[in-house]
Amino acid sequence: MRTDVLHAVRLARVDLKLLGRNQTAMVNVLLLPLLMGWLFSNVAAGRQIEGVPGQLYVITGLPGLMLGFAVFVNMVNTFAARREELVLKRLRAAQPSSAAILGGAMLGALAVFALQVGLVVVWSMHWQDGGAPANLPLMLLGALLGVAIMGLLAAAFAGITPNAETAQVAVLPLLLVVMLGAPIIGPTTAMPGPLGALAEVVPVTPVVEIMRTAYLGRDFVGTGAESLGMAAQWVAALPAIGIALAWVGVSALLARWLFRWDPRHG
Amino acid sequence: MTVVIPVVRAIHIEPVISATTCGYGLAAKLGDMRDEPARAATAIEVADFRQAYGDFEAVRGVSFTVRRGEVFALLGTNGAGKTTTMESLLGFARPRAGSVRVLGLDPAKDGRALRPRIGVMLQEGGFLGDLTVGETVRLWRGMAADAGRSSMAGTLEMVGLATKERTRVRQLSGGQRRRLDLALAVLAEPEVLFLDEPSTGMDPEARRGTWQIIHDLRAAGVTVLLTTHYLEEAEKLADRLAIMHQGRITTSGTVDEVVTPAGDQIHFRLALPPAGLRERLREGLPFLDGTAATTAHSGDGTRVTYALPASPEAGRAHAALRPLLDWADKHELTLERLEVCRGTLEDVFLRVVEEGR
Repeated sequence: MRTDVLHAVRLARVDLKLLGRNQTAMVNVLLLPLLMGWLFSNVAAGRQIEGVPGQLYVITGLPGLMLGFAVFVNMVNTFAARREELVLKRLRAAQPSSAAILGGAMLGALAVFALQVGLVVVWSMHWQDGGAPANLPLMLLGALLGVAIMGLLAAAFAGITPNAETAQVAVLPLLLVVMLGAPIIGPTTAMPGPLGALAEVVPVTPVVEIMRTAYLGRDFVGTGAESLGMAAQWVAALPAIGIALAWVGVSALLARWLFRWDPRHG
Repeated sequence: MTVVIPVVRAIHIEPVISATTCGYGLAAKLGDMRDEPARAATAIEVADFRQAYGDFEAVRGVSFTVRRGEVFALLGTNGAGKTTTMESLLGFARPRAGSVRVLGLDPAKDGRALRPRIGVMLQEGGFLGDLTVGETVRLWRGMAADAGRSSMAGTLEMVGLATKERTRVRQLSGGQRRRLDLALAVLAEPEVLFLDEPSTGMDPEARRGTWQIIHDLRAAGVTVLLTTHYLEEAEKLADRLAIMHQGRITTSGTVDEVVTPAGDQIHFRLALPPAGLRERLREGLPFLDGTAATTAHSGDGTRVTYALPASPEAGRAHAALRPLLDWADKHELTLERLEVCRGTLEDVFLRVVEEGR
């Protein structure tokens, strides 16, 4: 177990080093979600959404968008390219376990995601009077669940993606579902009819709800967005945590079923 | 006209075999094998192994063992099942039927225990191109259980990449990547080394260097399973080998055991084109030991080959030479570049492929 963790950390460090050397990936992973967040927040400027200023609402939902780009898109591309270039096969033949290889990729994505969330916090505190996150442990849990869900879904999607080129297209459906379905720029209750119910079970929705509740100290899982104490925030987040854990299970099964190490065969 | 036969004048069949291009010091190698009875323990055991992808049966019941400390070569045409066999030995896929064991362990089940004890050189690729050579070796060292004794400089020096430490892997040539691959494979001082076409893409010098490394590893007691398209590589390195074709092993044994049935060959060149030869020699070329010659154009002359049938008798080629020399004297012909070779692995290989059609 300790060896697996050490191997995963080494691989994550290499991932970050390689990300720093790839300008295209840097733009897609780091800049694009921030740019989109800036655009969305400007659209929401001057409005009140669920009792908070529109811009602050959007900014606290940006982690959902970042999970789509920094974790999902980034990891599908990475897995597909590395499978095609036989890097996954080589790593599997070496000493790291399969768990360490996949865990290393997720750890790297988590680091990028954490950096982006950090930028969101700075943005919120300095330009939107959002203050510091109300419940950091709950926020961290939301982040971990989000990375687990989207990382495992990325592994599954990479399995059905023939190569690195088609990965660019393969990620679009889920990315659109995340961007439009998750409560990033507005609550799911604002969606018409059954779309609102469907949006509740979009994989990123519970993560956004947990992280926004943790950040603003209000209930964004239920309705009303009332202010809550620390313990009440955890209780309020339980349904979303349950849905997120269910998504972790489903994503893990999909990844186990679909992920491929070798382009030649499974 | 004088018959010039400088090689033949000095012939004693055995020395000629080792002196011509098809000789390779087999006796010395066999001697090494006899000196190492302690290496009898089995490192790799494959029993009635079958593997399939969908409806395609890639390996159809293969059995062989590799003893500790020996170099075993798997030869075969493309798609013969060599890589599939190797990948199952690495635990990438469970056998469809039969069993594979490496160091007594099931690779698919006991991968965690096995991986620190083996080194692997894949057939191609598998590098992170944006890492430098040094970063790649450091990454692998960081993940190897027993890499403490091998320094970065020593590792790169061994494979001739000492000056490339700061070069990105993507900037290396194909041969240099293969050498880096070899360095990573031996980094953790493995007990068993899997080499899938190790010298593909290497220049002759690098190939010789790679052979020397493999030879040294063998001398240090490392077991090597090697797949290769280069038959010369197998002849140089392997203690034993198996030839696979269409998912089956068609022949196996020591190089000598495999090659002996191919018989000996006599080659020479005549400074006459085939048409001129026919005109000059109405009775044609002689039969040697009941074998007819095959001829081919060679520049402005004719290349003549006699493939003598396999025989357990020593000196058969020697006996066959006498009537040939008499014939050349009689017709005042010069047998240029006269060679006596034993059959080659290539002959056996091609025969296997031909019979499989």
